[in-house]
Amino acid sequence: MTKLKDAIFEDVESITIRFAGDSGDGMQLTGTQFSNSAAIFGNDISTLPDFPAEIRAPAGTLAGVSGFQVNFSSEDILTPGDAPQVLVAMNPAALKANLPDLVTGGTIIVNTDAFTKGNLKKAGYTENPLENDSLKDYVVHKLPITSLNRAALEHIEGLTSKDIDRCKNFFALGLTFWIYDRPLDTSLEFIERKFGKKLPIIAEANKTALQAGYSVGHNTEAFQTRYHIKPASLEPGLYRKVTGNEATAMGLITAAKKAGKPLFYGTYPITPASDILHFLAAQKNFDVRTFQAEDEIAAMGSVLGAAFGGAFAVTGTSGPGIALKSEAMNLGIMLELPMVIVNVQRGGPSTGLPTKTEQSDLLQAMYGRNGESPMPVLAPATPSDCFDMAIEAFRLAVRATTPVCILSDGYLGNSAEPWLIPNPDDIEPIVVTHPTAPNSQNGSGKFLPYKRDPESLGRPWAIPGTPGLEHRLGGLAKQPETGNVSYVPAENQQMNNERAEKVARLANVIPEQEVVGPQSGDLLVVSWGSTFGAVRSAVMRLQKAGKTVSHAHIRYLNPFPKNMGDILDRFDRILVPEMNMGQLIILLRGKYGTHNFIPFNKVQGRPFTISEVADRIESLL
Amino acid sequence: MTEVIQLTRKDFVSDQTVRWCPGCGDYAILAQIQKVLPELGRPKEDFVFISGIGCSSRFPYYMDTYGIHSIHGRAPTLATGLKIANPNLSVWVITGDGDGLSIGGNHFVHVLRRNVDLNIILFNNRIYGLTKGQYSPTSEQGKITKSSPMGSLEQPLNPISVAIGAEATFVARTVDTNVKHMAEMLRRAAAHKGTSIVEVYQNCVIFNNGAYSYATDSKTKSENVLELEHGKPMIFGKNRDKGIRLNGLNPEVVSLDAVDESELLVHDETMPEPSLAYMLSRMRQPAFPEPIGVFRDVQKPVYEEGVMAQVKQAKAQKGEGDLAKMYGNADTWEVVSSEFDDEYTSVLFHGENTADRDVAHALLTDTLADLSPKKPLTAHVDISLADAVARLKEVNVGFLALVDDDGNLAGVFTEWDIFTKVACKIKDMSQERVKDYMTPNVTTLGRSDTIAHALHLMAINHFRHIPIVNEDGKPEGVISFRSVVHFLEENFAPGKTNGKS
Ligand code: SF4
Repeated sequence: MTKLKDAIFEDVESITIRFAGDSGDGMQLTGTQFSNSAAIFGNDISTLPDFPAEIRAPAGTLAGVSGFQVNFSSEDILTPGDAPQVLVAMNPAALKANLPDLVTGGTIIVNTDAFTKGNLKKAGYTENPLENDSLKDYVVHKLPITSLNRAALEHIEGLTSKDIDRCKNFFALGLTFWIYDRPLDTSLEFIERKFGKKLPIIAEANKTALQAGYSVGHNTEAFQTRYHIKPASLEPGLYRKVTGNEATAMGLITAAKKAGKPLFYGTYPITPASDILHFLAAQKNFDVRTFQAEDEIAAMGSVLGAAFGGAFAVTGTSGPGIALKSEAMNLGIMLELPMVIVNVQRGGPSTGLPTKTEQSDLLQAMYGRNGESPMPVLAPATPSDCFDMAIEAFRLAVRATTPVCILSDGYLGNSAEPWLIPNPDDIEPIVVTHPTAPNSQNGSGKFLPYKRDPESLGRPWAIPGTPGLEHRLGGLAKQPETGNVSYVPAENQQMNNERAEKVARLANVIPEQEVVGPQSGDLLVVSWGSTFGAVRSAVMRLQKAGKTVSHAHIRYLNPFPKNMGDILDRFDRILVPEMNMGQLIILLRGKYGTHNFIPFNKVQGRPFTISEVADRIESLL
Repeated sequence: MTEVIQLTRKDFVSDQTVRWCPGCGDYAILAQIQKVLPELGRPKEDFVFISGIGCSSRFPYYMDTYGIHSIHGRAPTLATGLKIANPNLSVWVITGDGDGLSIGGNHFVHVLRRNVDLNIILFNNRIYGLTKGQYSPTSEQGKITKSSPMGSLEQPLNPISVAIGAEATFVARTVDTNVKHMAEMLRRAAAHKGTSIVEVYQNCVIFNNGAYSYATDSKTKSENVLELEHGKPMIFGKNRDKGIRLNGLNPEVVSLDAVDESELLVHDETMPEPSLAYMLSRMRQPAFPEPIGVFRDVQKPVYEEGVMAQVKQAKAQKGEGDLAKMYGNADTWEVVSSEFDDEYTSVLFHGENTADRDVAHALLTDTLADLSPKKPLTAHVDISLADAVARLKEVNVGFLALVDDDGNLAGVFTEWDIFTKVACKIKDMSQERVKDYMTPNVTTLGRSDTIAHALHLMAINHFRHIPIVNEDGKPEGVISFRSVVHFLEENFAPGKTNGKS
């Protein structure tokens, strides 16, 4: 019989925990395990990994601190949580780097064994913070995790001391499982799956560490309070956890499969987009053809070639890669072939903040090419929305025979949330027609590659290998219909007009913009991309508190939804929070004239927190 | 399949006016390609010409095939993507010395090392033509041009040496004026599986006229050009009286008057090691005759075939991609429409008539005894599965407590167990013992535990029932979620009087 220990249970709605340690300490794994277990238990979760920029920064230093934040809740949550309430710090550097984020009064669990003179010095502490009163505002649990873990594992034969110490992250995980009343099953199964067959001793070691950590919680007086977070009430169905990059990859595969096409992914490795490549490279049984090119330029060139050949062609990169790809993207605009460009944005300019998030490539996506180069731009709002937007991108690309840009970002790409697994049969097929006969109406038997569809203004996507439709495409200015090189002024004007118009007409087939809250009034918050979670939560929090504020979150940035202008006209003031210095505002002003726009900008490599946004809104009310 | 129609040169001539300067070497190359393509026995729609930027890169416009006039230096990248998308096509890359070796130098070496099945024709005129006469990466050092009025400082690249350095599998050189030789090189390039690179000495009449006169002038060419032939000794000269002999590691020119033919170097295109081919590529005027012909022709795996083989292998191993399987390939969990559905929840948390007594408070203070738990249906743990199911059916309940000889609770058997472990799985239930299908190690509570505690367990563990045991561990009751709801309805639902205080 299970007998529950008489700890005090405190019911809480949500908890945010951050696991932090050296990049070698396995904190990403620990955080992932914790979130998996919470998710399977039915909590809504949202995660935020925080990688160091240096892959192998010296152990114990601030530069080498790696973190993973999990927010789990009984409510529907939209962000990985603002400030963590609990910090698990495996060494002094992890404590130092993360303490500023912890809420006052929060809980700190530290591994005292790692607080050696050397480590303290490496972290830049002159005094041991565990021995003075610098942590008096927090609840600190000091545990010799390294030695407790060693003691727990010493009886297992065949383990080196290095092996043993590597298990200490599971020890810490076991402890947090106890505190938050999570079952160990998921993680035990995970260990078995990962090591069981190949390395049974390592599997046993990790399981023992996990259970030992749990028992320490159980037996230590220090932990008087345990927390319950009830399962969240999510829409019924089968769920999994998904990151934005995984969702993007699955969306791309789905789009290709729904069109009966091979998926071509030509790319060059770049943080934080490479996970998409890794995911796709493992799915070749879907006729996914990945190509790791010699550089960003070659990657984009290969996408043009593959699109010409009739594949669903995609590249994925980040801002610096887009800079290099721009010339070939522009050729894509001229060739008028369907393709998708995924930009998982990171902090810029230049190499910037490779592992941190920002949304400052919006204007680059819109205008970062020579000449008039209109390109549709979509921005997923959440990790799972990346799936839908990847499919949507292809739908629009095929319709208007054009490259389409998806602006994801490092935060969306790496964060995870529960995803209601869709039924593939419910996803609309993407209908692609390749012409097989000449299209000129004068009986000449000629094929006119730029004779447009009267409604969409897309052009026929004729592919090599089709008899009788031989044609040449190129980057030079063109004659309408024939596509022959032409420098005739009026013809160049017409082709520019048509390329702009066909993108603009996509507004006829995209959903209208929604407004949450009053449909007109004083204050509207307008956001786009990954800020959705923080902004929507902030708005809802204020609405619950009886404040009057509305929110419009834009997923289609070019073209904007048809009713965008009307919406803006109905509000006196429009607050625009962005993780850049005000790029959406420039677009909105340019298109809809001078409304009372209020910028709210941040470029700190981190997502907005709910409170930040809520405070800003409140200051305006 | 369409019938193979015998194509002619004319089939490959587009309706566009050719706009190269009169006398440009490009005309000869265009003519030879248009002549050779019909001989290859492939339908016209299978040919694709992709170029970069430069004089030579206008080429696709003049071919009535599929084609792309792309951007400067990038033609190999488009060609690679196209071949991966459709490996059946015959793809030709048209480039020049500036396009292929300067701005496109990176792509040039990488396409060669990958061995994509393409034919690259590099028009080498050793000058920038389209931009009007600057020195190019193949211009000789000291070249006087508009951008190098005092002579260029740079050492030139030798396209054949670069290609061999990148371990290209087919490398050849020809001359624009030697059309028969050019046609043969084009045929050989087309026949080769893998990347073929053919360098064509091409005369730019406007900006670098006569750059190759030593190799084209009928008076001097046989002295200055060495025609490579596989398996044959290397002999050249108007009277075929000179040869190439190896002296240590270096080639030397010898006179056949003094040296026997048997001492000469014999050409071997197929040597796996590229050293001989590289050595030949280093032979330049005026010290040596410049070789033309096939330097190297070896077989290596073709890139796009490798790509397709991996797709095939993945399908064989994992089966044709199944979206539902891919979506579910992770830890998954089911969210069932909760028993705490809206109606109940509203009673629980937003009860309309809770003025006198707070529901939450009641749940925290009232005990399970207040729910007057029912006696559970009980049976001995050793009964058969068939008997257990029959008992549940008989009494029409969903919960059976199983006890051992001492009457202690050994486990429970519920409709959920039937649903998950028994239904559709067990043929003969009389042969099975309920012990193996029950839930052992049951979480239990006592009569004095709070209702809140029970609700909490139900919520986090999705329990429908919880057995109540006495101090000795003997089952004395069972509560279900429904009993809690009834309790709440009794005491708190609108219209009822509020319960005890
Ligand atoms: S400039 Fe030179 S290479 Fe260009 S077309 Fe004229 S002759 Fe030919």
